[in-house]
Amino acid sequence: MKDEWKIGPHKFSSRLILGTGKFADGDSMCAAVRASAAELITVALRRFNREKTEDDLYAPLASLEGIALMPNTSGARDADEACRAARLGRELSGSDIVKLEIHPNPHHLMPDPVETLAAAERLVKEGFHVMPYIAADPVLAKRLEEAGCASVMPLGAAIGSGQGLTTMAMVRLIVRESRIPVIVDAGLRAPSEAAAALEAGCDAVLVNSAVAAAEDPAAMAAAFADAVRAGRAARRAGLMAQGASAEATSPLTSFLGAEHRDE
Amino acid sequence: MNEVPEQIDPRPWLAAARGGARREDAMRALASDEPGPRELAALLSPAAGALLEPMARRAQALTRRHFGRTVQLYVPLYLSSHCPGGCLYCGFASDRAAPRHRLEPEQSEDEMDALKSMGFEEVLLLTGERCPGADYAYVRDCVARAARHFHNVNVEVFPMETGEYRGLAEAGCSGLTLYQETYDPGRYERFHRWGPKRDYRARLDAPERALRAGLRFAGLGALLGLSDPRYDLLALYRHAAALRKQYWRSGISISFPRIRDQEGGFRPDFPVSDRELAQFIYAFRLCLPDVPLVLSTRERPALRDGMAGVGISKMSVASRTTVGGYSGRTQYSEGQFEVSDGRGIDEFCAMLRAANLEPVFKNWEAVYR
Ligand code: SF4
Repeated sequence: MKDEWKIGPHKFSSRLILGTGKFADGDSMCAAVRASAAELITVALRRFNREKTEDDLYAPLASLEGIALMPNTSGARDADEACRAARLGRELSGSDIVKLEIHPNPHHLMPDPVETLAAAERLVKEGFHVMPYIAADPVLAKRLEEAGCASVMPLGAAIGSGQGLTTMAMVRLIVRESRIPVIVDAGLRAPSEAAAALEAGCDAVLVNSAVAAAEDPAAMAAAFADAVRAGRAARRAGLMAQGASAEATSPLTSFLGAEHRDE
Repeated sequence: MNEVPEQIDPRPWLAAARGGARREDAMRALASDEPGPRELAALLSPAAGALLEPMARRAQALTRRHFGRTVQLYVPLYLSSHCPGGCLYCGFASDRAAPRHRLEPEQSEDEMDALKSMGFEEVLLLTGERCPGADYAYVRDCVARAARHFHNVNVEVFPMETGEYRGLAEAGCSGLTLYQETYDPGRYERFHRWGPKRDYRARLDAPERALRAGLRFAGLGALLGLSDPRYDLLALYRHAAALRKQYWRSGISISFPRIRDQEGGFRPDFPVSDRELAQFIYAFRLCLPDVPLVLSTRERPALRDGMAGVGISKMSVASRTTVGGYSGRTQYSEGQFEVSDGRGIDEFCAMLRAANLEPVFKNWEAVYR
């Protein structure tokens, strides 16, 4: 059986999503995208430049085959700005998928939960497939799901921090209750962390800095692709229970006898 | 009498920065996960001068992590050289014999067209102090025109009142750059001989007024060389930190303009060497990893090449500090300061690409206005 996941009507089999803002040039970005085998790529509307081709991130990505682009609203400070950016992004790219990012603080880029929910509600009504970037907040994730979002994208750690999956406990809670894809976005540094996210049941991960800032971005993209496949395969295979072999004796229940042993 | 406000007063750390910090302090600061003013002081200190290479390595790693392999580019556009100010170090001071020029708003659009066709998407509009030839209405008019051409329009003009900044934001201005020049009140008074700029506090508080009025970005800086650079840099750091706490939705950037002694015959009392300038920039990158750090064409090519992506994440390029000069239609000669890096865009971008860095012209979107 094909192992696919969906954003609205769009189906994907790759579970690695790439961000594009931090590469040295268009060629190394495209090389990394190809090596990653990603099918979904995000590009910031503020990096669309229709008037100067060598400065434009959108056109080289759009020319790659088999890739869906999701413009993101990075730079938006509130719901109004994000909605305007989403509409313009759809107009320029033709993509109905939008990565909703509202980070009022331009330094740490932490998402604003209040504005994000407000914008998501509006954009869903306008027919967008909304993929909101959020803190790893299980309640907010459900609120966004109820608002009709196509996925939720909790951060693993602060953007660009490379601290890894510091929010793992919260991500597990989100995964456990979510009916829409859960994608860890931001903070990952090593492929092993991406594998861990997939093992924990996330549907995909998004990386940018970890690949773009690596010594060899394309090779790192390929490493992430492998890790994501391994993590997903492990999840499907069913991980053995933790600590199952460490219970040699049962001092509290041994009086019950072997025939009453619990499963 | 001007006084440095308590919340930006650098004196608690000054002795350490001037020489009190030892090599071990600098090494500890270099490895710190949560550097603050104490760590900055150690990294600015002469003792840290022996750690330039490890500081540069860490600065590069942090720059790459937060800004990727990109360098954001912008261009200054001098609108007017009229100025009633008497700043000792400036070529536009009112006692300089140089003739004054001003772009008529329509002429400014010729310049904007020229810059736009060079590929720029971010422009910094400059004037001197407020005067009849270049007043608020004029600046606002030029901003509105620039906003039709560029995605990102910033100003480096005289301090304004909150309502005026609100008007600029409505006209399409995203941010302001305003250097305090020196944070040392005594020396500030000495350099600013006459004119509105003499009011230390009016200048110091202007970025706050601008952010309160809705501008999104504030660029701060000290003109290195005017005073003890360690005093100025510690105060600058505290100024930035205070603004970030209060205006948490706004972006702060920091520039490192350095005055050199060939400008208008002015000789700085505290010349800053290349090595010191690099050390100071690395120190700021280590202590403010996510803040854009800016280096202008005041600096010569080799230094700019060496700092790009290693601490510095934003640079001006192809600058003319004369009024007019981009379109070729309005070419006047006298500039505010000398440009040391006269390379054109193509040459500069080729350098960045050779260093495995991407020149970024557009990193903002007018739809956010
Ligand atoms: S520094 Fe500014 S205020 Fe002072 S003389 Fe020059 S242009 Fe005028």
